[in-house]
Amino acid sequence: MRPTHSGTMSKVKNKKRNLEENEDEQLPIFDKDGGKDGHLDDGDEDQGDLSDSEESVFSGLEDSGSDSDDEEEEEDDDEEEDGTEEKSSDVEEDKAADGDGDDQLSAKEVTEPQTDGQHSKENKKKKKTAGKEGGEESVVSARDSGLQTSSQVDEYEHDTSDEEDIRNTVGNIPMEWYKDYPHIGYDLDGKKIFKPIRNKDELDEFLDKMENPDYWRTVQDKMTGADIRLSDEQVDLVHRLQEGKFGDVNFNEYEPAIDFFSNEVMIHPVTNRPQDKRSFIPSLIEKEKVGKLVHAIKMGWIKPRRPKETTPQYYDLWAKEDPNSILGRHKMHVPAPKLKLPGHEESYNPPPEYLMSEEERLAWEQQDPEDRKLSFLPQKFACLRAVPAYSRFIHERFERCLDLYLCPRQRKMRVNVNPEDLIPKLPKPKDLQPFPTTQSLVYRGHSSLVRSISTSPSGQWLVSGSDDCTVRFWEVSTARCLKTVEVGGAVKGVAWNPNPSICLVAISYDDTVVLLNPGLGDRLVSTATDQQISSYEEPEEVKEQPVQWTVAEGEGHEQGHRLILKHPKAVRQVTWHGKGDYLACVMPDNGSSLQVVIHQVSKRRTQNPFRKNKGLVQCVSFHPIRPYFFVATQRYVRVYNLIKQELTKKLMANCKWISSMATHPGGDNVICGSYDCRLAWFDLDLSTKPYKVLRHHKKALRSVAYHRHYPLFASGSDDGSVIVCHGMVYNDLLQNPLIVPVKVLKGHTITHDLGVLDVTFHPTQPWVFSSGADGTVRLFT
Amino acid sequence: MSQVQARFFTENTKYLIDDVPFSIPAASEVVDLSGVINKLLEAKNDGHKHVEFDFLVRGQFLRTSLANHMETENISTEEVVEIEYVEKFTAPQPEECIMHDDWISSVEADSEWILTGSFDKTARIWSMEGKAVMTVAGHTDVVKDVAWVKRDGLSSLLLTASLDQTIMLWEWNSERNKVKARHCCRGHAGSVDTVAVDPTRTKFCSGSWDKMLKIWSAVPTEEEDEIEEPNRPRKKQKTEQMGLTRTPLMTFSGHNEAVSSVLWMDAEELCSASWDHTIRLWDAETGGQKNTITGSKVFSCISYSPLCRRLASGSTDRHVRLWDPRSKDGYLVLLSLTSHNGWVTAVRWSPSHEHQLVSGSLDNVVKLWDTRSCKAPLYDLAAHEDKVMCVDWTENGLILSGGADNKLYTYRYSACVSDAGA
Repeated sequence: MRPTHSGTMSKVKNKKRNLEENEDEQLPIFDKDGGKDGHLDDGDEDQGDLSDSEESVFSGLEDSGSDSDDEEEEEDDDEEEDGTEEKSSDVEEDKAADGDGDDQLSAKEVTEPQTDGQHSKENKKKKKTAGKEGGEESVVSARDSGLQTSSQVDEYEHDTSDEEDIRNTVGNIPMEWYKDYPHIGYDLDGKKIFKPIRNKDELDEFLDKMENPDYWRTVQDKMTGADIRLSDEQVDLVHRLQEGKFGDVNFNEYEPAIDFFSNEVMIHPVTNRPQDKRSFIPSLIEKEKVGKLVHAIKMGWIKPRRPKETTPQYYDLWAKEDPNSILGRHKMHVPAPKLKLPGHEESYNPPPEYLMSEEERLAWEQQDPEDRKLSFLPQKFACLRAVPAYSRFIHERFERCLDLYLCPRQRKMRVNVNPEDLIPKLPKPKDLQPFPTTQSLVYRGHSSLVRSISTSPSGQWLVSGSDDCTVRFWEVSTARCLKTVEVGGAVKGVAWNPNPSICLVAISYDDTVVLLNPGLGDRLVSTATDQQISSYEEPEEVKEQPVQWTVAEGEGHEQGHRLILKHPKAVRQVTWHGKGDYLACVMPDNGSSLQVVIHQVSKRRTQNPFRKNKGLVQCVSFHPIRPYFFVATQRYVRVYNLIKQELTKKLMANCKWISSMATHPGGDNVICGSYDCRLAWFDLDLSTKPYKVLRHHKKALRSVAYHRHYPLFASGSDDGSVIVCHGMVYNDLLQNPLIVPVKVLKGHTITHDLGVLDVTFHPTQPWVFSSGADGTVRLFT
Repeated sequence: MSQVQARFFTENTKYLIDDVPFSIPAASEVVDLSGVINKLLEAKNDGHKHVEFDFLVRGQFLRTSLANHMETENISTEEVVEIEYVEKFTAPQPEECIMHDDWISSVEADSEWILTGSFDKTARIWSMEGKAVMTVAGHTDVVKDVAWVKRDGLSSLLLTASLDQTIMLWEWNSERNKVKARHCCRGHAGSVDTVAVDPTRTKFCSGSWDKMLKIWSAVPTEEEDEIEEPNRPRKKQKTEQMGLTRTPLMTFSGHNEAVSSVLWMDAEELCSASWDHTIRLWDAETGGQKNTITGSKVFSCISYSPLCRRLASGSTDRHVRLWDPRSKDGYLVLLSLTSHNGWVTAVRWSPSHEHQLVSGSLDNVVKLWDTRSCKAPLYDLAAHEDKVMCVDWTENGLILSGGADNKLYTYRYSACVSDAGA
């Protein structure tokens, strides 16, 4: 389908027109629909005009061009205005004219070998002018070479979204920006393009809709705001596009293909170049390379390709399956539960012992079917022929099927936790020796409960204070009572001075504390102590002291009494500082400010370290190294710094009533025994809460003690037992103390519901002494 | 296994039998075997009287049935078993019970006199018949140990060590029955728990709670040693003290705890046991330590037998342990004799028998041991009603034991007379 008609317009003009068309391509329909305004514009061409149809723009553009084109346009406009059939032909013609030049151009370029002779001249001419047009045009035109009209061609040629709309120079902006202005943009000359007057209200709109037969084909051009009435062709085009057809009615998409290269061998080759010599001479370089490879293969440096394995390779579906996994295929296999094999009682002729007697039968019948041992009654038949059909057969089969069907497919994994494994691993007591294991000696002599015991620093002597108002001194190794000293009341506490160069024992009874020189051990030390006490000189100014110090004289002195301290209240506990000069006494009295006093023996001075005591003080203890002082009340242990005079720590014992306390010789650990059967171990570096709470005793704890050298501690309780524990404290701060109970020592008989009242360790040997309510002191080694 | 091939032999020529193997029932016990030997002896000489024998299989006393014994001792029953038979040790015969006023802390007897130390601050001399001969009073505190130094003729020298930190050297004239304090040995700073006189009888050694060993001269002299004591007036106060003051010749320090027992191995070597779990051997001349035996418990007593060259020790547990003092490996216990139920407070080797020793314990029992029968003692002497504190064994076969029940028991033990060579 070649274009048959060529326009009269010059090539240049045609080109220009093409460009213009491009602009219109965006809405090729609209430039036609401006029709009704068209004549207005044509009439005055005035920029000041309210109308701003593209025709005006066109006219502005075309001004430079020839008139003929203008005329054509005008013609177009006129025709469109009418909307008659003639117009469409005109348009067609117009388009054809447009497409003509274009087609010529494209045809010339692409189909050069087959160009028609008649157009060759024109083509040549055209070539010069159209040189500036890009190659893309030629490609497109090649494709569209069959098009009759060029409008479609142009449409696709120059359709770029960023092409400027020359009717309105505002560019590609949302038009609502001009919503509030009277104009809608600017034309090429910078004049405002005013919006067409729209004074139609809803009613008019409706009437228009009802009455105007072209209402449905009227659209508004957003760029210019003008209403455009679509022509029939345009409507048709819209329809075609909607249906997905080509816009051009005449376009045949099924044109026969033209072979450019024949599949047949022609006598003339495409190129007539002779064959290269190298194409038939073997390559030397390749030969060299091959030779090298061959040599390498011969020498075994490289291996020729490995022969393919002949064994077939299969994908192992279960390769990744863990054979030990719980859900493994084989593990999942649940065998069907086996049926019980029939026994003698199922026989048709069972032995008589399987047959039920009358009572058994009655009993069987009265039982619930679930409780019956046998689900049937054994019966005897004369012969197999006489055996009736089994009435429960279906039922039993059904039950069996149910059993199989309802058998759990998921195997229940029982977690087998050995309870032994849950117990923390502790070293065996055997490995923690030495510790006391057996009762070795019993120190008999007291006639009432022995409340307190204490050992001499050398470990040769033991002192015990009892409710029978005596204090006894024992030789440890023989259990021999070497000395008995009577005091004026039930002895509540005894404490041997830990300083080996001082021979003094503090004894508390009622409201009195007696410092007693037992005269045991080294005579020199004993006499030196006496001298030190007697050489005391009264200071110039006598301070008012809460405690009255008197020097024992007469019979008391003979017995060993050296100093007598009268307290305002009953003294429950006495304890020495490690250096042996300070002595702390506890006078429990709730709400009083004077519960704890510290005496300095060398200066015979007494001080009350606390202005106020919180709670009932149970016991006190000196820190073995640092100037700390532990005060245990019912629930808390307070640690005071005696130099700074402040509270450094408050330990929460987590028990109801602390009965006793002991400080580790290292000073960083404290144990507390309580009346509610607990023993709390505090690691002062760790926390103010107990590091460990031991509840081994059945009854209230009365006393706890640390060994001075061995990692041992012991607790005595009302249940008559002493429990010895291994309590290793490591120098390494990262390692927590190791606490292992190692031995329960029994020996004391429980009297008046009281068992062991005091425990203390031998200073050098792993031996523990315990005093009990039965009036004995026992040594366990 | 019902029969065992056994060959019997003895070193006692009185009871020799033919050296032929016999097949005897494996279940037979000591009584059965004894019957067999007696039968054989009767067949040999008509005038044989029934004798109880004891049997040793590879140096161990037979205490159970023969089969049992061989199984525990890993002796093959295939071969002929060599069984030695000795005349059965007769039980020690109790002789005297000597009452004291207080606990008896120590006892030492020679062939004529018994010397005991007591908690009533005195030492006493008794005749063998249990008659109180002399009371040696002078200490101000408990007498912890006593020792005879020398007995020549009528006058004897004896030592008493006391809790009052002194040792007294007494001279006792047995004819006039007078005792005189010759020297008061001062220098210890703790109770003196043990004294031992050297074999030459010229020196003695003492061990004290103050961790020291001191060597003193045991020869009485007339002059008093000067005490380098700072305060003279105090010495003046003690004018009532008895005897002349004596100071130690030598002091050995090395123990970390109280010395509980000391003895002379020979004239140059000392041995001491301590609460610091060690037994130390000292050179008495130079004062150097020669060897240390380390145990695991406090040693309370030791005894040395020159016959078998072993040390026996009692400690604050239930065992009597035997040590080789020459061994360089100071931890090796040769043998533990376990049967006591309380601390072993006293041990004493037999002066005449290399295998026998006696031990006393806090469980009120004195046990007579033969080291060839380590599983069980030969005899238990359960006469005491309270802690046994001391034992002794004299050359003439007298076993003595004293305890906290204030009683001193003597036993005549003559087992070793007939088979001294066994």
